Amino acid sequence: MAMTPDSAAAPDSHAHYITRERRGRRRAAMFVALSQFGLLVLVLGAWEGLTRVPWFAKNTVFDPFFISRPSMIAGQIVTWMTPGAKSIWPHLGETLVATFMGLFAGVSSGFVAGLVLAQNKYLARVLNPFIVMVNSMPRIAFVPLITMIFGLGIASKVVTSWFVVFFILFFNTYKGSLSVERELLEFCSTLGGTPRQILWRVRIPFAAAWTFAALPNAVSFALVGVVLAEFVGSNTGMGYIMILALSALDATAMFAAITLLSIVGLVLVYAVRMVERPLLHWSVEFRDDA
Amino acid sequence: MTTMAAGSLASSSPIIEARQVGKVYYTRTSETWAIGDITTSFRKGEFVSIVGPSGCGKSTFLHMIAGFTKPTRGEIVLASVASGRGKLGYIFQKDTVLPWYTVRRNVGLGPAFNGKPRSEINARVDALLEMANLTAFADAYPHQLSGGMRRRVALLMGLANDPEVLLLDEPFSALDTHTKTHLHRELLEIWRKLGQTVILVTHDLDEAVTLSDRVIVLGSRPSRILLDERIEIPHPRDVFTVRQTDLFSRHFNRIWTLLGQEFRASE
Repeated sequence: MAMTPDSAAAPDSHAHYITRERRGRRRAAMFVALSQFGLLVLVLGAWEGLTRVPWFAKNTVFDPFFISRPSMIAGQIVTWMTPGAKSIWPHLGETLVATFMGLFAGVSSGFVAGLVLAQNKYLARVLNPFIVMVNSMPRIAFVPLITMIFGLGIASKVVTSWFVVFFILFFNTYKGSLSVERELLEFCSTLGGTPRQILWRVRIPFAAAWTFAALPNAVSFALVGVVLAEFVGSNTGMGYIMILALSALDATAMFAAITLLSIVGLVLVYAVRMVERPLLHWSVEFRDDA
Repeated sequence: MTTMAAGSLASSSPIIEARQVGKVYYTRTSETWAIGDITTSFRKGEFVSIVGPSGCGKSTFLHMIAGFTKPTRGEIVLASVASGRGKLGYIFQKDTVLPWYTVRRNVGLGPAFNGKPRSEINARVDALLEMANLTAFADAYPHQLSGGMRRRVALLMGLANDPEVLLLDEPFSALDTHTKTHLHRELLEIWRKLGQTVILVTHDLDEAVTLSDRVIVLGSRPSRILLDERIEIPHPRDVFTVRQTDLFSRHFNRIWTLLGQEFRASE
């Protein structure tokens, strides 16, 4: 497809220039990776080492009571991972299930609501001030209320998560569908497209690009929403584990829980990226981003 | 070439008539007559260009023919052959190729909108791609094409319904001279083959004289028709050499002089 001259057409005598440049690039990439690894080792090493020196533990922030230490955190995670009474799996599972349910509910309802409002100018004008108002409210402040209404079970976690995700998706989809250029819509109508055909073939694909762009954000917020609901009132889940650790003044357990949640968040965001890549292969913006 | 030039085949019955058309632009506090009074008609199979200073409402006039907006005063009447779904093809200056479809699905979009069977769409698309030398790119996505190729795809999208009237709104203005001239040649070939009525809005006087049977010159706002010049250069025209002919310079200079006067007058 590309019109660039075939590299095989270049004289052989030039091959070593290419080899040299390639080697240079590889070396630069390697150097960056090595530096990153070194930085990680340095931070973890200082954390581990300094918390073992009595003077530092007493006089500085390096007090293992407050900040624990990497080896203890790793030990805690291993204990949690082994099956038995102290296993973390039921809690992690509960948090994950609630996250997925909230994410699914928030993404689908936000997408549909955004599309509907973008299609209906009258509705958009009427609802606009209310949407702005709801959006400017601190959504975290609703969590105790949601817990009061939906109880201590999984329902309040899902609702909190939905509540956070819905608005992210709604605004992105709404703006996305509105940003379809007038010319494109007029052009499609001269081609004979009915409003319904134009919705399916033009508006939805266009909005979907914006929706996907919001997904990594939505995933991490869904997780945050669930953990937050678990802080406020629950007897299961990772948030509950952290509140338990707080009452026991157990910094190690808190760090271990944070570590696990970070890993879960990373994996989920990467999974979403993998899903959207083939679906958005046509989008130049997305390709640049990836 | 065995057929006669489409230009000379143009019948005398008007396919589009504009009667005393005026159009107002509104701002929050005031209104301006952009188009003062335009009365003209377009015959079937004619290739007409509309030129004029920027802001004279030439694009708005085209929008009104397409029905995107209504005249404030007067009326635009389309013959029955030119009204109905997909009878008007409109090509914008802006890119209107859908990036999530392949070239093939883009070109076939119009017929698909109109519920044509798949086999018929495929045959039509193949013929169009062949005509524009894009067959090799049928399954490519728009981001894989050059600017000139995307423009050709947009043009084919507009042609796929086999419209009676083709409205071109500065379709070549974002292209380099080389690509532009090639597209001029292709457009003329397509027009001579299919014989649509073409109305081209452009700010490029070269382009207007090279391609058209008639050039309509609009004045600055509130605009009216300053000149309706019949271009006597016979078809088929060679877009690469037509500029060097005396006839071309005579037409060009007459219109250019008038535009210059208009420009000075509006200063």
